[in-house]
Amino acid sequence: MVFSYNWLQSFFIKKLPGPDKLAEILTMNLAEVEEVKKEGQDFILDIDVRPNRAGDCFSHLGIAREIAAITDSKLKIPDSKVIEDRKLKAKDFVSVEIKDKAACPRYTARAIADVKVGPSPKWLKDRLATCGLRPINSIVDIANYVMLETGQPLHAFDAEKLAGKKIIVRYAKNKEKIVTLDEQKFDLNADILVIADGKSPVAIAGIKGGKLPEIEKKTKNVILESANFDHKIIRKGSRSINLKTDASLRFEHGLDPNLTEFAINRAAFLMQKIARGKIAQGLVDVYPKKVFPKRIKLDLDYVDSLLGTEVPLVKIKNIYRNLNFRIISSGSRSIMVEVPTIRLDVSLPEDLIEEIGRIYGYDKIPSDFPISSLILPKRNLNIFWEEFTKNVLKEAGFSEVYNYSFFGEKEAKIFGYKEKELIEVGNPLSQEQKYLRASLIPNLVKDAEKNFKHFNKFRIFELGKIFKAPFLEKRQLAGLIIGEDFYQLKGTIDLLLQKMGISDIWYDEHQATPEDSKGFVWHPKKCAEIKIDNQEIGFLGEISPKILSSFNLKEKAVLFDVDFEKLSQLASEEHEYRPLSRYPAAVRDISILVPGKVKVVDVLNEINTAGGKTVRDVDLFDVYEGEELPGNKKNLAFHIIFQAEDRTLSPGEIDEMQNKIIKALESNPEWQVRKQ
Amino acid sequence: MAEINLKTLKIRVEKEIEKVKSLEELNEIFNKYLGKKGELTLVLHSLEKLPKAKRIQIGRSANELKIFLRAEFEKKSKEIKEEIHKALEEKEWLDITAPGKRPSVGHLHPLTLAKRKIEEIFQSMGFSVVEGPSMEKEWYNFDALNIPKDHPARDAWDTFYLKNGLILRTHTTPVDVRYMEKNNPPLRIIIPGACFRHEATDASHESDFYQVDGLMVDKKISVANFKAIVGEFFKRFFEKDVKFRLKPDFFPFTEPSFDIGISCLVCGGKGCSACKNSGWMEVAGAGMVHPNVFKNSKLIPRDWQGWAFGFGLERLTMLKYKINDIRLLRSGDLRFLNQF
Repeated sequence: MVFSYNWLQSFFIKKLPGPDKLAEILTMNLAEVEEVKKEGQDFILDIDVRPNRAGDCFSHLGIAREIAAITDSKLKIPDSKVIEDRKLKAKDFVSVEIKDKAACPRYTARAIADVKVGPSPKWLKDRLATCGLRPINSIVDIANYVMLETGQPLHAFDAEKLAGKKIIVRYAKNKEKIVTLDEQKFDLNADILVIADGKSPVAIAGIKGGKLPEIEKKTKNVILESANFDHKIIRKGSRSINLKTDASLRFEHGLDPNLTEFAINRAAFLMQKIARGKIAQGLVDVYPKKVFPKRIKLDLDYVDSLLGTEVPLVKIKNIYRNLNFRIISSGSRSIMVEVPTIRLDVSLPEDLIEEIGRIYGYDKIPSDFPISSLILPKRNLNIFWEEFTKNVLKEAGFSEVYNYSFFGEKEAKIFGYKEKELIEVGNPLSQEQKYLRASLIPNLVKDAEKNFKHFNKFRIFELGKIFKAPFLEKRQLAGLIIGEDFYQLKGTIDLLLQKMGISDIWYDEHQATPEDSKGFVWHPKKCAEIKIDNQEIGFLGEISPKILSSFNLKEKAVLFDVDFEKLSQLASEEHEYRPLSRYPAAVRDISILVPGKVKVVDVLNEINTAGGKTVRDVDLFDVYEGEELPGNKKNLAFHIIFQAEDRTLSPGEIDEMQNKIIKALESNPEWQVRKQ
Repeated sequence: MAEINLKTLKIRVEKEIEKVKSLEELNEIFNKYLGKKGELTLVLHSLEKLPKAKRIQIGRSANELKIFLRAEFEKKSKEIKEEIHKALEEKEWLDITAPGKRPSVGHLHPLTLAKRKIEEIFQSMGFSVVEGPSMEKEWYNFDALNIPKDHPARDAWDTFYLKNGLILRTHTTPVDVRYMEKNNPPLRIIIPGACFRHEATDASHESDFYQVDGLMVDKKISVANFKAIVGEFFKRFFEKDVKFRLKPDFFPFTEPSFDIGISCLVCGGKGCSACKNSGWMEVAGAGMVHPNVFKNSKLIPRDWQGWAFGFGLERLTMLKYKINDIRLLRSGDLRFLNQF
């Protein structure tokens, strides 16, 4: 909100610090001054008044009060002493009726007769213009001026245009309409509070005046409104007709009902002075439940304890006096403070301490390390395994990405998600972010698409949350490689799981059930289900050609997708070394020709079974599927490592076992061991 | 006779050793004199046939000669080896200016790196790292934090509403309440996690971002304690003496509330475009835990004092690595990511 430097100065006899210096002290002790700008002979200060201080600081007087407290200066309150004309009675001009007292805690009105409506004097026009308001005529300008000065929105009606000389504060009737001062038409509803005369709404309460009783050049008598409305009702009304004004902004933050009187008198005073009006006798004031200042007991030891420094009592008293807080009584280590009603934000001892802290200055508080019992931080295993996994993948050549937690209708469709599986955002920023992501894969594939323009070989991964209807959120780990094959990624999974202390990992061919076959992400013939014991933890493989065709990706992508919650449950830091055998190992090779569809794992099982304990390891070192091989066959070559734990194996023993293995393999008529 | 033989033998061997050019030749000469059937060996073998006095005399000389010659051979062998090595070193050469071959490793995301660093610093000061759900109840995200419904204060947190009745948390502060419900003070925690704000994305705003909240509660925790901890954090995180300041602010869940500015990392506080000429950069909000938040966490407010803060992880990461556009962080662009 913008404030005029000259206007602020007008509340002080003493010269204020220059605009920049003033901005700095306000920033350090009240709220950020975002900009200082020269405007003619004046300066504009744009102050980011926080919502808790709207009640008093959406006004020049409020800011001036703060300056007084911060700079320890005396504040000059502007003149509001009205001289009433005893021949005129306010109640002859207007009567006020409030239908809902909770919605309108106070309504104050005055009648000003025989005004001369004309242009405002230059000083007044200048101040309004500096604060961004367009001058209209003296009466309207004064109402606006007093709002900027005191924070209390005011409204002026042409008394002669109010039907039945009545003001009724009530909710609008359904289908009632109003045309506002700026000629906008609004359809009202029963949630909107209005000011009505004997016939129809003449203003939307707390938001905008109506065209009907507008102040014009020929207006003679003015009814001035200074009222207090419930902040929730104004907020709701303003939202429901989508209209925000300087008045609604102030009301929706909440205002002090005791402010109406000072503001209306100040406005009447100015109208008398500037528009030569006669102030009718009497304040029309409907104020059934008067608000009194709060009293708060402040424990001075608590002040020191919470701020962490001793603030001298003289300082505290001075701060409160400048802020217009009264100290009612002092105990040995406590004081009773009475808070002016305009300070809606102060109701607890902590609020009082904040006043001390900020005016005294947070920079005067020292840095002191806490004295506290030694409580050891708990180890967070979730985070430990996340970081562990990221490290392994990084070392395996993967770069980490962070994608958005959303995806759109398009991705949902491509990946075959049903609407009921997904969590929909009620107010998405765009259609691309309609759902919370149920998988990391769509965004990873998009990353691949983008990066493929610059790289033809890369590895990426993400570890993040996925979401599924109705309430599931869980961590998932997914990775993607471009320019390499399935086995490269399978090896990475093996490495990762081994590092996480997980054994018993195996890969199962996926048997798609009819219900998940539609929209299945993976290539049905090039995907494996990753299993640990009998638990399924994820998938590994190529994306189905159908899905891939929806993306602009020329190269095959191989992906993995695992349930990280399960994985970190299974992970273990326990690790034991296996003693090295003192006896030498012997390596023999075996080469076997098998039909193309035979699985390596079946051959391995056969070798291990036949070889028994002394086969320490079997290592597939070559797969050959050349054209010259007969009838769609492939050649598999293995190193077999023989080693015993208790003796050196003799060449004879090794030959014997090798022959046993060969025999076992050849027991299958389609398998043929190639002799070297 | 034998004595003379030994003298001439010595001269002969010395001459031969001197002429030697290779280890093989040296070995040959060694065998010729000191080998199993070498001349000197034979002399030593022949001693037993001599009378005792003579035997002792010649024996001593022969042995002395043997020790002397062995040393000579050793010396020569060393010389030859050195020459060989020198020659090799002269011959072989490596262009050390040609580029090295890097093992291909991946890269961790800058947000991960910054988050790790933050966690490490706070853990070393006794803070536990805790987490909470991204989909949150309005109660924890707002009401429990003293942010009432229908109050303009709530407007500061633009919210994504989900059709399952939950919201996406707008900060990780709700975990303060969740944690205090289950754990009695004294406590020290930080809460890193994903947060969401319903606002348009630009170079410095992101709708999907990370926050790190902190909370310390004990009997006598003060603003002064906060200044000490946060000052230490800045020093360690930015690895230099960073000046910081607190200025008043408003958060419904803390009282008093302040925001924290650090001296501009770009200009060092003189004023530049990065800090809008103020010399300061806002990095976090903080304050003393509001009594209502203690109450809503089922603690008795009078019994406890504490502070809480909230940092934007993106903001700290960007400051640390001088990243000028927040959108790069979620671009998935390897040209960016591979720099970390």
